[in-house]
Amino acid sequence: MTKERTNQEWLHDLKASGPTQEAAIVDLRDLLLRAALYFFSRNLSDFAGNNSDEISQRAEDCAQDALIAVMDHLSDFRGDSKFSTWAYKFAINIALMAARRERWKGVSLDELASSGESDFLEVKLQDHSDGAAPEASAMQSEVRKVIQDVIKNDLTDKQRHVISMMVFNEVPMDEVVRHLGTNRNAVYKMLHDARRKIKSSLQERGFDVGEMLSLFGTSG
Amino acid sequence: MKNDRFERWLHNIYTTRDEEILCSECFDLVSHFVEVELSGADSLAKLSNVKQHLDQCPACRAEYETLRDLQRLENEGKLPSVDDLQDLIH
Repeated sequence: MTKERTNQEWLHDLKASGPTQEAAIVDLRDLLLRAALYFFSRNLSDFAGNNSDEISQRAEDCAQDALIAVMDHLSDFRGDSKFSTWAYKFAINIALMAARRERWKGVSLDELASSGESDFLEVKLQDHSDGAAPEASAMQSEVRKVIQDVIKNDLTDKQRHVISMMVFNEVPMDEVVRHLGTNRNAVYKMLHDARRKIKSSLQERGFDVGEMLSLFGTSG
Repeated sequence: MKNDRFERWLHNIYTTRDEEILCSECFDLVSHFVEVELSGADSLAKLSNVKQHLDQCPACRAEYETLRDLQRLENEGKLPSVDDLQDLIH
């Protein structure tokens, strides 16, 4: 049974020594294991090729890694949430990366990305607006054409590569990060810059935000 | 690309801001965001940059949703035990 602690008590006990610290670490590890198991229980499809013992072991590994991360970042805790909430996020972050890696292991992202890049302009963005009214359908096609042009002519190779993987092939962020040997911030920045360029081009051509979203049935 | 995914992406394009926080900043703020959200405090608007990032980033969003639901269970005294959770994956 995990002992109830205030934020201050968590910090005090984890920074203490001897039995006090040992007991706090046992309790913290229990919370982190629960967070990892909770994430896995919601994402079991990522572990299609694993038995339950393997999934449990993976959760144990995540909890251990999260414990090290939490202890390394104790000085970053500002007290603007419960300590447990702050600690859970480390376990959930590590569990998500492990789950996505499991789902995508054996998939060649090089192959996927290159095939995506060669055909996405023709296939991935093709118009599926069969049921739309003719006028709306024509405008949808126009929007798609602008986006295709920006992707083809205005984006950098890296931005195009990341969009091909994440937007057109639905590769998870952390697999793209691993594939490119970079970090989430860098990949997010590439996507952000690409979105800004596309948004700007659409606006320059007079496509109104609200009109576009309603045209495609997206209210936000 | 199916229409629903294209619509989602179009929404992301149109809700793009010139300045957006990155994943590491979102990670730093998300526990506070969850705390504020679950408390029902009206200061959530001050964290609109977090909300916007979560709308754009599927990885951070998946983590946030898990954190929010887990914290809600803890707040309600319904946090599952390790044994309960291991039963769920068996």
